[in-house]
Amino acid sequence: MKPASNTLWQFWLDLLGQALLGLADHKLRTALSATGIAIGIAAVILIATVNRSGKEVIFSELQTFGLKSVWVHRNYKVDDPRRVIRGGTGISNDDINALKASASCPALAKFTPILWPGRYAPLFATRGNRYSSAGVEGVGSAYLEINNDALVVGRGFNPQDIERRRAVAVIGEQVRNDLFAADENPVGKELRIADDKFEIIGVLAYKDRSFLASINSTGGQQDPNGRILIPYNRLQTMLGTEDITMIQGEAVSPGMARAAAEQIVAFLKRRHQDAFKYRIETMQQYVANADVILGIVSTIGLVAATVSLLVAGLGILNIMSTSVIERTREIGLRKAIGGGEGEIMSQFLIEATLISLLGGVFGLLLGAVSSVAITAWTHYPLVPEFSFIVIGFCVSLVVGLISGVYPAYRAAKLRPVEALRYE
Amino acid sequence: MIRLEGAEKYYTTGAEPIHVLRGISLHIASGEFVSIMGPSGSGKSTLMNILGCLDTLDKGTYELDRRRVDTVNNSEQAKIRNRKFGFVFQQFNLIPRLSALRNVELPMIYGRLPLAERQQRARQALHRVGLGDRCSHTPARLSGGQQQRVAIARALVNDPDVIIADEPTGSLDSHAGEEIMNIFSELHAQGKLIIMVTHEHDIAAYAQRIIRLRDGVIAEDLRK
Ligand SMILES: Nc1ncnc2c1ncn2[C@@H]1O[C@H](COP(=O)(O)OP(=O)(O)OP(=O)(O)O)[C@@H](O)[C@H]1O
Ligand SMILES: [Mg+2]
Repeated sequence: MKPASNTLWQFWLDLLGQALLGLADHKLRTALSATGIAIGIAAVILIATVNRSGKEVIFSELQTFGLKSVWVHRNYKVDDPRRVIRGGTGISNDDINALKASASCPALAKFTPILWPGRYAPLFATRGNRYSSAGVEGVGSAYLEINNDALVVGRGFNPQDIERRRAVAVIGEQVRNDLFAADENPVGKELRIADDKFEIIGVLAYKDRSFLASINSTGGQQDPNGRILIPYNRLQTMLGTEDITMIQGEAVSPGMARAAAEQIVAFLKRRHQDAFKYRIETMQQYVANADVILGIVSTIGLVAATVSLLVAGLGILNIMSTSVIERTREIGLRKAIGGGEGEIMSQFLIEATLISLLGGVFGLLLGAVSSVAITAWTHYPLVPEFSFIVIGFCVSLVVGLISGVYPAYRAAKLRPVEALRYE
Repeated sequence: MIRLEGAEKYYTTGAEPIHVLRGISLHIASGEFVSIMGPSGSGKSTLMNILGCLDTLDKGTYELDRRRVDTVNNSEQAKIRNRKFGFVFQQFNLIPRLSALRNVELPMIYGRLPLAERQQRARQALHRVGLGDRCSHTPARLSGGQQQRVAIARALVNDPDVIIADEPTGSLDSHAGEEIMNIFSELHAQGKLIIMVTHEHDIAAYAQRIIRLRDGVIAEDLRK
């Protein structure tokens, strides 16, 4: 007898061929047990895609607030009724000027005062016979930068605009549509707020917060494209007040956001001898919330996917065990003519893995198709990543191997004499 | 070639063990054609399985080509079966989904021969048993006698020294049985050692040596 001159891959190819022929014998059975895997893998792909794309959507919308943003405003809640309640917002022009000069907030990179007219003084912008119901906001010169606001035309506020309380306005996309014809350039034109005329110096780029709005998130309530921004001190003059509604700051880094806000609060408390309480909001806390929500969604999905893969794996185990029993005589024969335990085991492992991989391939397709369908349906872009294909492939490989081990081992350990006698 | 000394085999299925082989000593030289006969349950198949390295001894020794084979492990046994033995069973034991050619190829897959050589040798073997034109037929499309000839081709294809045939004609009519025996006689003429179990005297008569078993011992060992 000649020595084996065969290469190793040729041998595995032969085993693969034997396994394929084995599966071809039971097409329906193979397809059914592959379906379970397909559903599990599709779920895995979908979860990974939703998780990643969801993160992207939420992140990009949160970015419209500035990821390093912090907000400090008065907390009006009274928890000590014996204390004298003072009026006002707890933030004044003097505070703003002092904060500018102070070095006591090292975590704060820049900040802007923000003044909202509030419900008691509704302000409308008008131009000729057109009007806009957009909200007027008084802001400082750092506002646009902190909020990641870009301009489609014109310019933003410069320090002189604020210092001299100039009657200038930066408007959002919605306001522009309310007040101007589509082909008109608003820059240099005038609009009226109450009885005052303002010159429009810039138009804000469109901002998308539709996802946040759709989940009724706090930030989503405010339409970022319906803003009319004017110098805060100009708005103070119009309203006859010295108050500031809130301070929006930008921390030196996302990790320092909380510290920056706390430093502002400490600064304000010192200046007002602890007369007011303040509330802090940081963008980071919303980012963390979004992560938590996505985490919950992913966990639920992952549990569902794991369960379906587990069930599918048990299905393969069952099918393969049945197959081993049905083919007892065949196994005995294979052993009689020289099939070793490793070879028999490999053949059945390959069969189990092939079922699983077949399911995996269909699962990948199913996952991709449903991503596309969901994108078309909800308009949130779900883009599967190449790495998910690798993940899906590996998961189905592992499921196949694990569920094939026991039946394959049983086949390998059959005693040839008994297997050949099996009826 | 084959030296079996004091071979004993028990089966313990029920309460007390059944003593199937009770001390069999048997020497078979290469190139012999041996028939094993005996009443049902006398241990013929058990003896054949031990000779073919399909089963192990409980007592005694087995030497094949001056080498102890009763003590080797499972994978070594599988290799010995692959190289030294060709098996022919009463039930043919062909794999139903495989063509005749692929069935005959199987032992060479486990012997790790290259594809081209395998196919060539499988074709030759089928030709030799008179089935050169039935290579692509599956067992279901072959008669019993043809199926048994495919099984013989499979047993021959690795060019073994020993053919182990347990009632090879047991499922065939006398004409098909005769064809099988003619092939065996040819193989014997070409120098193969053939050990065959049969109940039929005219089949046993093809052999040069007839061994009769009774209750697990050799009752008679006749040479022509
Ligand atoms: N796996 C087994 N478990 C228990 N008993 C067995 C087993 N195999 C064989 N036997 C018993 O061993 C004895 C011999 O069996 P064996 O198959 O060798 O007989 P045989 O001579 O080939 O008979 P037959 O002519 O009917 O084929 C029988 O009594 C049988 O019941
Ligand atoms: Mg028998």
